[in-house]
Amino acid sequence: MNCQDINQAIVEASPLPPEAEEHLRTCARCRELAEILNVPVPADLPSPTVLREIERGLVAELRPVRPIAPKRYIWASFLAIFVVIAFLGVYHIGAFAIAVKTPLQMSAILAALAIGAGLLAYSLMNQMVPGSRHRFPPGRLPIIIVISLMIAIAVLFPFQHERHFWAKAWACIRIGALMGPIAAVPLWLVLRRGAILSPIMTGAATGLLASLAGTTALEIHCPNLDASHILVSHLGVAVLGAVAGLVVGWAVENRN
Amino acid sequence: MERYQQADLEAPAILVSALSPALLRFFRSQSATPGQAEDLLQDTWLRIHRVRHTYRPGEPVLPWIYAIARRVRIDGYRRSRRINNHETVMEVLPERHAESEPRHALPVFEALVAALPEAQREVITMLKVGGLSLEEVARATSSTAGAVKQKAHRGYDRLRKLLRGYAEAAEGAQ
Repeated sequence: MNCQDINQAIVEASPLPPEAEEHLRTCARCRELAEILNVPVPADLPSPTVLREIERGLVAELRPVRPIAPKRYIWASFLAIFVVIAFLGVYHIGAFAIAVKTPLQMSAILAALAIGAGLLAYSLMNQMVPGSRHRFPPGRLPIIIVISLMIAIAVLFPFQHERHFWAKAWACIRIGALMGPIAAVPLWLVLRRGAILSPIMTGAATGLLASLAGTTALEIHCPNLDASHILVSHLGVAVLGAVAGLVVGWAVENRN
Repeated sequence: MERYQQADLEAPAILVSALSPALLRFFRSQSATPGQAEDLLQDTWLRIHRVRHTYRPGEPVLPWIYAIARRVRIDGYRRSRRINNHETVMEVLPERHAESEPRHALPVFEALVAALPEAQREVITMLKVGGLSLEEVARATSSTAGAVKQKAHRGYDRLRKLLRGYAEAAEGAQ
């Protein structure tokens, strides 16, 4: 065993395995480290007055509470909101892209958006309950999803030079951006049932999920196949939503 | 915890007395003074009480508690930084806290981990003081077990270097 193995053993097991003893006999630094980390140090005990005060405070306001809903219900609620808002959006603005996009383009982009929404819903579901297991780092997930969608769009659609680029982009951004706040309200109603510990992180993820509903509706609505247009005005809506959510989260966090 | 959710009157006292010493030590090792640590402890229990419905029966309790404690510490740090930014330094005021809270009185563990970067200090304190497993620390810090393991490894390497530094300084003094 070497010093790195001792690190490993300290991280994973307490007390140390017998193989570590030989190394500890010869390495003074590891021996000191193991002693400091394994020998119980007398703890600072909270003052009895403070403990009594805490207990009194808790007992005074004690009443039964119903535990938060199971994970699968919360996840399904987030996804249902996403699907309903995207569907209502398409119903309202029309599905003109279906006739223009190839089945591969349509199915691949919708699958990518659905996977992104599913992962965000999963992350939000875990962010509602402190100490949940996160399979994907919640802070990085929105960035990873946006980058993956950018790559998917760049691969699936051709880059064409088109006239009146910004006028067309603005028309799509305006429609898509309206759907974000509409989806954000029911998402917030679900989220408020949990304990949001990092409003900035949760705000960005919520904003992105809400505005991805708008992006999805635009993908089914807009017949423009130019990759630049889709990146700027369809995915741009999602990015704007994430930024708006982040700003709202920042405001909430600084108000506390 | 389930009895606490069901409003069993004995549950708060059991929880508070069982978990408060480790929580206090967690706050102390994150460079809080004894007074600040007790304030953070009270804030933590208040927040635990407010969000007790978010604990799912059957799930591990410690990651849930430490995730809340960690957030309370971050909020407390930000609050004190905001207050410090708005306060005017008055040189005539005596520094009473320096007298009542001597830094050199910290136990060896706290003194050592105080020299670590925040993320490594937090992970090592949860592992060694809170008695959490790698998986539990990952849950409490919204991270992955791999990332926690890496931080702990780096922390132990740094502690080893610090110990070497202490030993050399002691030899030099002799």
